[in-house]
Order: sequence, then structure tokens, then C-alpha cells
Amino acid sequence: MTEQAKAGFTCPYCGKRFDTFDELKHDILTSHRGMPLPAQEGQVRLVINGQVHVVQVEPEWTLYHLIHDHLGMTGSKQFCDRGACGSCTVIMDGFPVLSCMVLAIECDGKTIETVEGVARAGHPLIEAYVEHHAMQCGYCTPGFVVTSKALLDRNPDPTEDEIRDALSGNLCRCGTYPQHIIAVREAAGKLSGQKDNGEV
Amino acid sequence: MTVGIHTDEQIRKMKELQDNLRADASPLKRFKHIGERSGRRLDGHKKACGEADYTMDVQLPGMLHLRFLDAPYPHAKIARLDTSRAEQLPGVRYVLRYDNPELPERASMGKLPGLFGDPPPLPGIAHFEGEPVGVAVAADTEAIAEEALTLVEVEWEQRPFNLDVIRAREDDAPLSYPEIYSAGNYWNNGMFNELVQGDVKKGFKASERIIEFEFFRRGHTWIGPERPCGVFRWNGDCPEVWVKQQRPHLVKKNLSTWYGGVPMNKIQLHCLYQGASFGGWIQVQWNMGPLYCAGFVAKKTGRPVKYAFTRREDFYGESMDNGRYRFKVGFSSDGTILAVEGVSTIANQQWPMFNILNHFKENTRIPHLHGTTESVWVNKGPAVPTRCEQLPTTLSMTMVFNRVAAECRLDPVEVALKNDGYEGHDMEGLDEAKRQRGFPLVDSLRDCVEKGKAAFGWDEKRHLPGTRRLPNGRMHGAAFTWTNEWDDSLGTGEIAIRIERNDGTASILAMGCDNGVDAENTYCRIAADELGMSLEDVHYNQQIDPGFFRMSPDSSTNCSVNGWAVRHAARILKQQILEAAVSPTAKTQRGEYRPAFPGCAPDDLDIEDSVIFRKSDPSVRKSLAEFVMEAGQSGPISSTENAGFRWAFTEPFFAFSYHVQLGSYNPENPRPHLTRQAHFVEVEVDTETGDVFVIRVVNVNDVGKAMNPMSCEGQQYGGTVMGLSRGRFEEMIYDPVTGVMLNGNLLDYKIATIRDVDCPIGTILVESGMGYGPYGSVGIGEDIGTVMTGILAPAVHNAIGVWIDDHPITPDKVLKALGKI
Repeated sequence: MTEQAKAGFTCPYCGKRFDTFDELKHDILTSHRGMPLPAQEGQVRLVINGQVHVVQVEPEWTLYHLIHDHLGMTGSKQFCDRGACGSCTVIMDGFPVLSCMVLAIECDGKTIETVEGVARAGHPLIEAYVEHHAMQCGYCTPGFVVTSKALLDRNPDPTEDEIRDALSGNLCRCGTYPQHIIAVREAAGKLSGQKDNGEV
Repeated sequence: MTVGIHTDEQIRKMKELQDNLRADASPLKRFKHIGERSGRRLDGHKKACGEADYTMDVQLPGMLHLRFLDAPYPHAKIARLDTSRAEQLPGVRYVLRYDNPELPERASMGKLPGLFGDPPPLPGIAHFEGEPVGVAVAADTEAIAEEALTLVEVEWEQRPFNLDVIRAREDDAPLSYPEIYSAGNYWNNGMFNELVQGDVKKGFKASERIIEFEFFRRGHTWIGPERPCGVFRWNGDCPEVWVKQQRPHLVKKNLSTWYGGVPMNKIQLHCLYQGASFGGWIQVQWNMGPLYCAGFVAKKTGRPVKYAFTRREDFYGESMDNGRYRFKVGFSSDGTILAVEGVSTIANQQWPMFNILNHFKENTRIPHLHGTTESVWVNKGPAVPTRCEQLPTTLSMTMVFNRVAAECRLDPVEVALKNDGYEGHDMEGLDEAKRQRGFPLVDSLRDCVEKGKAAFGWDEKRHLPGTRRLPNGRMHGAAFTWTNEWDDSLGTGEIAIRIERNDGTASILAMGCDNGVDAENTYCRIAADELGMSLEDVHYNQQIDPGFFRMSPDSSTNCSVNGWAVRHAARILKQQILEAAVSPTAKTQRGEYRPAFPGCAPDDLDIEDSVIFRKSDPSVRKSLAEFVMEAGQSGPISSTENAGFRWAFTEPFFAFSYHVQLGSYNPENPRPHLTRQAHFVEVEVDTETGDVFVIRVVNVNDVGKAMNPMSCEGQQYGGTVMGLSRGRFEEMIYDPVTGVMLNGNLLDYKIATIRDVDCPIGTILVESGMGYGPYGSVGIGEDIGTVMTGILAPAVHNAIGVWIDDHPITPDKVLKALGKI
């Protein structure tokens, strides 16, 4: 008798124990047929920029670590390491979050949008940022773009003051702040124009 | 005779402008892309989309992460070290100890001669709290490396320490760096510590009035968004290295001396986009020591190794203005300054290149100057140029001129104009200097202040100190400061340009070190206008080491040095193209090929919009793409040649050039500064809370020629944000008992947000043509962020009528000045 047979067999769906492999097989075929295997401990399933990712994560991983280091979406940046700078901002279920302050293991079932997704969707913010030089060294820029995108999603026509409020958690050491307001306002105008033309 | 691909004539042309001590002798007659406002950033799309790669983003297969032990004490020696538990932690691949016999005692780290010399790559003695010392752990993840460091057992031999420059200057103070400076903590390197002009005693005697005052500037830091980092991989015996570095040439030079010596041609260097460091992270030993360790561990483990400092570790570097300033100023009641004596006692200057009175000498007619810069060692991090080394002298200009204006109850603008000049000469003397060097006779400061005053509404906003309370209950203040523009580092820039086969586009080839000033865009504009090409046909291929290194740090001197190098190379290249256009398009065994422009001389042709044409008959034309296309990559060895077809084969079009800048870092100061900048700020002060609200800023910079205006304006508003942030908030705070930094993170060390500087920032560019750069340009990148740092002191004084002599100007200091706490 093998060691496995001595120990018995545990159903991965319901945890019930069986003495033989055939009994386990029968149980799965009769009780769990067609069902997806339940997630292992530490496994998360996320939709990032429209694509499903199933990832085994360690308990200490942040969402930033998962996105930047493991999935290679390096647009999100880490500037401060403690939720002070906004450079790692992503949109999670419609809200901007600081990915360095979110544990990856808590993100099971979440929908995430990163700067790569914003860019791939052809959002007018990108062109407005380029046109108005709303960047210098560029390290914090993706965080500004994502935060601005989240703002425009919930407020398509923000005032300058509302833009300042939305971006007040994003640090730019190069001091490009004045240009962000211009760029976001311009992107808002373009989105409005697209809406009027039935493009969105 | 030719040297390489260049003729004697070409080399002569390169060298004739090498010292650029006079006006541009041969500017372009007209500009198309240079000076154009609407240029898109070449790097804009990549940066906005998150596609721009930084060294922190580099991930290599099998890469290990290297982390360092941080000293818990400000001055301590490792007495005993036990790393056995750390070595046993799963995932730890190598533990490097400072006492590893294979580590050299010293290694070349790019220091200037006479400073720290060559330090150990991994020291065993800490001279400031937080210094990476003793142990570096390489592990599969950063988290494992961090955990392993907690398992390291260290017995420290603590030593007495200094935090305060005044105390450290005293004879009985403990030695801060006994291994290097055993005679005391005061360091006079004999270079620029003392500046003497005229006779200050005579000046004070002739002065109608004399004031004496002192102020302090507390240490602040650069806050580069991307943490200091590097990646090292060995490909056989060839190092491949990724660095966050404003001076990649120094990395290559030093690396070639490491590990028993590495030939320069085996080193492959990548300098990706950089999350800015404003000069700070360029010339301290912890820059290259960790990279040395990464290379050492990579060799030992056979795996790529990435080191990255924590955000806190990056906080220990300081600006070069941390300390006490004392001034005695003699002047007349009309604001004419006759004598200035200044002594600054500043901490840890690793690079004391600037005397505090430097700008007084460079910009004023003040006849008598005596400035002393005392560099004193304390147990804090190294102080290095942090946008920039001229902080002490610009701060001193702001304080002295505004103090004199306030004492005389005069408009500070008038006081500035009254004292403008150079090296003790008045404006006539300055005009003579311009005339001798071929510059136009523009009164730069007057031009700047007139434009600034009009835009700011200075005459309406200015008032006597402490006299204007606003309807909202706050006190209103307005201030002005000024100095010269500068771009005067010593150094060289090398640039190459190649015309690509098939499509005739141009590639600029040079090592990149992008810090965000959009320099590559400027170089492309110069190349496009000089070559007669469309801007979209010119591209800067940066990031890879082609052997041509630009003048660095690239945020300081790119226009004045690299701009010349681009221009020289472009002119040589254009000549090559035009000569080829009238010569046989190829010579093979089968004979000569017909020229593209038969019967013409090179001077008969020109290039515009990437099309070569005959000047006397523009309908005779051929695009650059057509001209080079036929040869393709295969050249005339194509089988079609054997089949009887004749394919033209244009020569490879490639040119390189270089430029050498002497600048005013040369003690003889061969270039009088001719262009000026002027800054105006309006504030409101809440006398109940001490808060200072910046209401409006106007910057006027005479950049000589704005080659890339949007980039210049970016330095104006960006520098304003940084300068005001430093002036209002920024200071590293240390516990005086333990010597431990208390606010080494971005929550407790505040930098300005979009809410903190949400006022209108006026950006006015003056183009006098009086710069020593190409087309009369001069630098702007360092200037505003440095000059604006001190302007809040006179602004708050104008508001509340009391001087605050301790920068930054925080609310508690305002309340203290008002006697409320």
C-alpha cells in the first residue's frame, strides 16, 4: 500500500475524506462534476485591464508588488513606499487606490485598471499630458494619469478646484502641477466632445 | 590630411568655439524648430503611458535583491558581527560582510581629489545614523533580504558625535570623521573657501550705514522620486550594468578599476530614464559603493543583482546650504552697497565649490567683498549639490539685498538695479565686457524687472513692511529677488549623428541621462535646423552606451555644452552630405556612378525639410531618403550589380563632435555673467496660525535664446514649486540626544503638493542673446528652484514687519516672530 493510500484521499472541493481513490473519483463525478476547482489558499483571481489573472500570492505582497514585479506592468511606480505620493495609484472597482497600501491577497475578485489600461483604451488624457508637458522626469506621471482618469470617470467636467482636490495626494518633485490642471481640463473637453458625437 | 573621418578644417571649426568665451560667431540665419513653442515632448507618450523604463523597473531572470544594514547610531564602529542566522534563512543567497577579505579596503568611487579619497565599498564605521554599513544581504526577494538583516547581530562601539555645525566648529568638539579629518572638524580645502575683492575695511569706513545680521538654513534634501538603485549582471567577464546616474561616464570610469580591472570596452552600460535626483545622487560614495557590492555579489552568485535603497536611506543626503550665515553690510542711504563681509558655516560640504559671495562678485558692482565658506563635518549625511551648489550664495543675495532695501525703506528692485554690474564694475564696465565679447548691449536686469513688474503689478502691491492688512484679516507681503543665470560647470560633451540607410532619418547617438528637462528634444531641434531636416526625421537614441558621453549632470549644462556639440556635429554632417551629393554616388570596379546633383558644387545646394535642392533652381531636388535609399543595407555588392544594373552607393554619413566648457568654476572666471533673472512673489500671512499663503509668483528669466520654450517654462514653474516647498516646509529633523533622523519619509518630511502651490505662476522668458551657449543661450534648469528657496523670508518680512532668520519659514517661526508663542 502506498503512503498516499494509507493516508486516504481528500476531496479538493468539499474536504471530505475517502479511503480509496475510486471512492474519491466517484464522489467528484457525482457531486462536483463540471465545477471549477476551489481556489487554493493564497490564490487570487483579478481582472486587470480587461484580462483575467490567476496568481498565487504571498501574504505580504502588496498589490503594487504583484502588478509591478510579478505581472511586469511597470507603469505603476513606487516613490514613497507608504501611501504618501500617489505614484502607484490604480483604479480598483472604480475607485483610485494606492497599490502599495493594498495587500494583494485581499484583491480576489477585484477589477483593476492600471496606466497601461488607460493608455491602451486611447484615453484623451494621454495626448493631453503629452501636449501640455504635464511631466518632466516622468516617474510620478502614471500615478497622475490614473488618478485623473478616476476623477473623470466619476466627474466628467471637473472644475480646477476639483482637479486640485483629486490630485492633492499625488506628489511631483519636478513641480509640474500647473500643467496637470490644463491637461485634465482639456481631456475632459475632448471626452465631452466624443460623447456629443456619439463616440463613447 | 584627415584624422579619422574629419578633415583638418572640420577639426578647426570644432575647436574654434571650444572655449566659448564670446558670443556665438555664426548663428543660424533663421530658425524653424529651435524656439518653436508647440513641440511635443519626445518622451511624452512613453512617460504618460507608463512605458518609459527606469532602473527600478528592471527585472532580470534569476535576479537577486541586495539590501544593506543601516547604522542605528550617528557615529559607531562595528566591534563584533554575527551573520550566521541571516545566512541560514531560506532564500538568502549571499551575505557580504565588510570584513570579507576579498573586498578591497578602498575603491575608486568617483570622488574629487582631496576630498574623501577612495572609500571602502562597504564601510565598517558609520559616520551618520542610517548609513549603509557592515553587511549586505542578497536574497530572492527584497522581503527576505530585509528579514535576514533583522537576524544580523552587531555589537557597536559607539562614539561621540556632532549634529550642529556651530558646536562642531569648537575646539573641544568630538571628531566627526576622525579617520579622515583627525585635526578637527573644520575643513578648508583651499579652493573656494575664501573670496576677496577690494578691501572691506575700507568699504565699511566709507559706508554711510552698516548692518549686521545672521540667519540659518536647515538641511533639506533632493527627494528623487526613483530611489537610488542599480542592477549588475556579468556576461562572462563583461559587466552589464543599469544605473540611476546623472553622470554615467563616472560609473564606467570607476567600474573599469574594480574587481582587478575591467577594460572599458567590455562594460555595457544602460542609463534608462531617471526619476530625477536634481544633482543630489551623483557624487557620494554611497552611490557607487552599493553598485560595487552588487557587482561583487553578482560575480559570487552567478546571478544578476539589483540593489535599491529604501526611501529612508535616500533621505540622508543633504543640500549644501545647511548651516549659519553671518553678514556685515556697508551701504549708502540710496541703496548703493559698498562692502559685504559674509561667513557661512555649513555642514558636510562634499564639494565646496561655491563661496557664499560668489554671486555678489559675479553680478554686482559692489567694490569690496570678503566671503568665507567654512565647511564643517558633523555626523549627518553628505551634503552635495542639490539643485544646486549655489544655494548658499543665492540665499545670501536674497537676504542681503532685501535687508538693505528694508533698512533704506527703498524698493528692492531699485536697490538691485543700482548695484548691478560685475566684479566691482558698474554697468558701463559690464557693457564693455559685452562689447569685447561680441554680445549685444542689453541691460538684462532692467529688461527682466520691467517685464516682471508689469506682469506682477509690483508698484501697486509693494508697500512698507507690516503695513497692509487685507479684508480677510491676513497680512499682505510682496518680495523680489534676483541674480544671474548660470550654466557654468566645467566639462565636455560628446555627440555623434548618423544618417540612417533606407529612409534618410537622422539618429543622434550619445549616452542618455534623462532627468526630465526635455534635453533630447532640444538636441533634436538643433540637429534638425542645422541639417535642414524635419523635426520628425531626427531622433535621439538614448539609453545605450555608444561611447559618446554627454556633459553631465544633464540637468545643469546641457544646452551650453551638449548643444554646441550637437551643432558642431550637425554642421560637419551637413557638409558631408552636400559634398557627397555632388560627387559620384559610388566608385566600384565597374566605374563611377553619376552624382545625384551633377555639375554642382556643395555650396550650390542646401537642405530644407529633409530635401536636398539646388539653391538657384529649387525644382532640382532630391529627398535625403531618396539620396541614401538606393544603397540600402546591402551596398553595391548586390547581385543586381553583377546582372548589369547599377546601384548607387552613398557613403555612410556619420559625424561626431565635442565641446569643452571652461565656465566660471575656473577660478579665473573667464566669462562675465551677462544675463539676469528676476522673481516676484506675493504672500498672505495668517497672524493667528502663522500660515504663509503664496498668492502669486512671477518669474522672469533671460535665457538668451529659448531653444525649447516649453521646457524653459517647465523649469520656471517647476523650480518655483520646489523652491517654495523648500522655503516653507523642508527640513530634516534629528533627535539631538540620539542623532537619529526623525522624519525620513514623505509623510513627516513634507514637500509641496498641488494644493500648496496653487497660485498663478507667471513665466516670462527674455531673449537677449547674451548667453555663451549656442545661439546666445544660457542655462535655466538649476536656477529657479535654487533662487526661489529664500524668497519667503523677505516676503513674510514685508507682510509682518519682522525678519525670520531661520529657513524654512514654518508657521511656528512666524508665530514666534510675532511674539505669540
